Amino acid sequence: MKKKLVIFCVLFQLVIISLFSQPRITISGQIKAASTGEDLIGAVVSVKEFPSLSVATNAYGFYSLSLPLGSYELTAQYTGYKSQTSPLNLDKSIKINFSLFEQSRELEEVVVYSKRRDENVASTKMGMVKLDPTEIKNIPVLFGEKDLLKTIQLLPGIIPVGEGRSGFNVRGGGSDQNLILLDEATVYNASHLMGFFSVFNSDAIKDISVFKGNEPAEYGGRLSSVIDLKMNDGNDKKFGVSGGIGLISSRLLVEGPIVKDKGSFIISARRTYADLFLKASPDTSLNKAVLYFYDLNAKANYRINAKNRIYLSGYFGKDVLGFGNTFGLNWGNTTATFRWNHLYSDRLFSNSSLIFSDYNYQININSGVKMNIISRIQDYSLKQDFQYFGDNKNTLKFGFNEIYHQIIPGAITAITNVSLKSLTNKYALEHAGYFTQLINLTDKFSAEYGTRVSLFNLMGPGSFYTYDTTGNIASTNEYSSGKFVKSYLNLEPRLSINYILNAENSIKTSYARNVQNLHLLSNSTSGNPTDLWIPSSNNVRPELADQFSTGYYRNFKENLYEFSAEVYYKKLMNQIDYKNGAELNFNENVESQILFGNGRAYGLELYLKKKQGRLNGWISYTLSRTERKFDGVNRGAYYPAKQDRTHDISIVGLYELNKRWSLSATWVYYTGNAVTFPSGKYVLDGKTMFYYKDRNANRMPNYHRLDLGATWIRKRTATFESSWTFSLYNAYGHDNPYTITFQDSKTDPTKTEVVQTTLFKFVPSFTYNFKF
Amino acid sequence: MRNGSILVLILVASFFTSCKKIIHLDLNTSSPQLFIEGNIYDHSGPFTVKLYYSVNFDQSNNYPPAVGAIVSIADDVGNSEQLTEKSPGMFYSSSWRGISGRTYTLRVNLSGKIYSATSTMPPATQIASIFFQKSLFGNELFTGIDFSDNGNSSNYYRLVYFVNNVQQSEIHVTDNRLSQGKTISYLIRPSDSAPKLKSGDKVTIRLEAIDQRVFEYLRTASQMRGQSASPANPISNITNGALGYFNASATRSLSAIVPQ
Repeated sequence: MKKKLVIFCVLFQLVIISLFSQPRITISGQIKAASTGEDLIGAVVSVKEFPSLSVATNAYGFYSLSLPLGSYELTAQYTGYKSQTSPLNLDKSIKINFSLFEQSRELEEVVVYSKRRDENVASTKMGMVKLDPTEIKNIPVLFGEKDLLKTIQLLPGIIPVGEGRSGFNVRGGGSDQNLILLDEATVYNASHLMGFFSVFNSDAIKDISVFKGNEPAEYGGRLSSVIDLKMNDGNDKKFGVSGGIGLISSRLLVEGPIVKDKGSFIISARRTYADLFLKASPDTSLNKAVLYFYDLNAKANYRINAKNRIYLSGYFGKDVLGFGNTFGLNWGNTTATFRWNHLYSDRLFSNSSLIFSDYNYQININSGVKMNIISRIQDYSLKQDFQYFGDNKNTLKFGFNEIYHQIIPGAITAITNVSLKSLTNKYALEHAGYFTQLINLTDKFSAEYGTRVSLFNLMGPGSFYTYDTTGNIASTNEYSSGKFVKSYLNLEPRLSINYILNAENSIKTSYARNVQNLHLLSNSTSGNPTDLWIPSSNNVRPELADQFSTGYYRNFKENLYEFSAEVYYKKLMNQIDYKNGAELNFNENVESQILFGNGRAYGLELYLKKKQGRLNGWISYTLSRTERKFDGVNRGAYYPAKQDRTHDISIVGLYELNKRWSLSATWVYYTGNAVTFPSGKYVLDGKTMFYYKDRNANRMPNYHRLDLGATWIRKRTATFESSWTFSLYNAYGHDNPYTITFQDSKTDPTKTEVVQTTLFKFVPSFTYNFKF
Repeated sequence: MRNGSILVLILVASFFTSCKKIIHLDLNTSSPQLFIEGNIYDHSGPFTVKLYYSVNFDQSNNYPPAVGAIVSIADDVGNSEQLTEKSPGMFYSSSWRGISGRTYTLRVNLSGKIYSATSTMPPATQIASIFFQKSLFGNELFTGIDFSDNGNSSNYYRLVYFVNNVQQSEIHVTDNRLSQGKTISYLIRPSDSAPKLKSGDKVTIRLEAIDQRVFEYLRTASQMRGQSASPANPISNITNGALGYFNASATRSLSAIVPQ
């Protein structure tokens, strides 16, 4: 470990020296949308005189490039915007800001520039997808509720945990192995309503990036993926209101300048009203039920001067579920991020963030016994990121992150008739430092390499136990407040190499190690709000994953079509499963209920996308295998994990019929999950029992579904726009099983039968949207 | 939080087009597995031990008995008895009575293969009262009992529920983990197929004080009806891979008539 660190430091020094020795003049600036003042992320600046040279704006719309003395023509481009050209005579460092105008939406002129039209081939990034919410707004969705986390499930390698669910698995990882960030804050439970909706109101989101395990070193903490969502900044030119009224929810967004051209704010809110229908129900068992969620996104930013800008953003969401006053379950996330962008020079960009993140749930029971329980996970975090723009061949990123985790697994706030003690709180520190360099070694050869060093400390106070093989307490150690119980240091190297064969073809390869120190305990098939996060400890080691991937990238017809083929192999270590009959609910010794094992996942992902034109969309196909290996399960052999899917196909088509109507369709097909079905039966006191042999030896039936959508623009003027969207989920009504259960036959008591439950067939929905 | 999930599913299902249908699946088969069930109580016998084999899922619910075994029960103070096979696979003891605090050992010799299990009989617990309560959903009437836990550190209970003297097949177990030394209230949620209670029905509850391994067996057996991500066989207290359990328990019963 020490040796590696030394090598790493030497490399770092060499890079710094090589960067500072280049005598060039720097052009830097900001690229924004002219109409709203929103920063454009990933907009491309190119230089006419150097056709092979282009740079992209970072997450805050900032770019920097350096050129020798001379006269140049600079062009800025961004998807859906008219490109803009600025001539300049370069004799000293200069700031050039661009404000791009949106493409007129007249059909005859549909010419859309991609962020960088050949990014698929040219960038070192692999296993990575970026989506723009406006790009996917017409894709049909369940209940008409646009959902970014469901849309990304139409991409290769990302599969839903179940029908209609916002939870997902990436390349064979568990659903808790996805790091979901909203303006840098971790969102611990990204789903509403037991997983049928995600917490992200797509009105509030500007940009979503998905990394399938090959994330750059600035990200860390989860094994399988990073979903990085950035909230809109708000319009700094004029006030605006937009919203939508749908079948089950309505939403409203207000934005405007704080100080024109200097600062803006945006507030967007959403609430479901399914419970209002319930209240109207004549069924006394339903009309006492309460069931809704709401969420609120807010963000403000202010440009103090050309070198300093601050942002404050937050999210607050809550689900409320209850029945009269006898039972209540509320849960929700809160996040807050304060950020300060500072330019130390026109080449060194800094962002400092203070981040707060909280997920909690509360259970109130008041029938016979009275019990109020709160459970919470809370993070306070400081993150410092530097980005150094070198000589156009080099970009350096480095920084650090400090997180203080506080986990309250279960605190009793009120209780009668039951003797229940609050569970011991857990405290941990997570430190990480990273360094990464993006370097163009030759015109054809580029690489992004780096490493992350992470240190995790579990701290007292509290009693910490060790367990014998039967799960009984073997020893108890008391730790006082702040004393380290257990520490884990891990090095997470990351490397990605791109070799460009020619303008249309490239080959990439990458390796990444990821470490995860927070683990979600869940024994349900699709996740519950009450699932518990536990830290790495003396009993629980950090989960590790090594992923190797390689791919071929090809663009056709002047980048109108892009194609990629990637293969990956992932090795997973210290994976968690539960003993048979494990008691995970309110158990102080929950760590005694856990089994540890390994896993492996490998697959092929194909992706073909047509990016422009009246008809656009994509086809994705994944062939994969995901396996786990635990002592005592299936005789210690590898067996299919429940998320193992042999085939997974998604087809997305979007068609602009005319100025008013656009149509869309998606079709998905996948192999059924691996499940355990009975292989025999017997009877216990008159109750039929099922006998199980091997775990996950059976399959759910294969799944397929067609969804249709249409958008009708009713009215569009300079000041007002309104539209209707219609969708039909599962348009040909295929009986996709939500569950398969086994029971005694209702008609013939000497027989048993198999019952399939289907949730969604022919689900229509409509939404009215407005904007002024 | 199974309750929460069920509530959501019911709501989602009632709003939208959820439907159920009976399907055919080609399930894996398994060789017949020996099942053993034995209970002894703190009242006078005879007690029974049942031996039979499992069948495949698509066969009818006729379970072939395991015949010709040698079955014996012994306690920890030197008493033992070989049981008599009165009908195929059904073994009967004589009329002795189980005693709280004693540990009993069941031994089954079937074609030379030995299966054994031990169970310790805890002290009996009286049922204080039976009550009736309306269910959360619908206006169905549920039966519940109150009883006082004796305050020992780990007490485990099984409730056997009878409606008009017919034993109901659902498994009900609880422990004193959350209620040590307090009054425990247990509300019986009947299965969907159980008869709905009406006024004048006689309900009887037998409260069995059981030991930890029997509790673990019955608890894990009762979980099989849930939507577990990876269902598994209940954890038996019998050796050598047999299914089933052997239980020495002290029991008390109480009956009540469903009011108007």
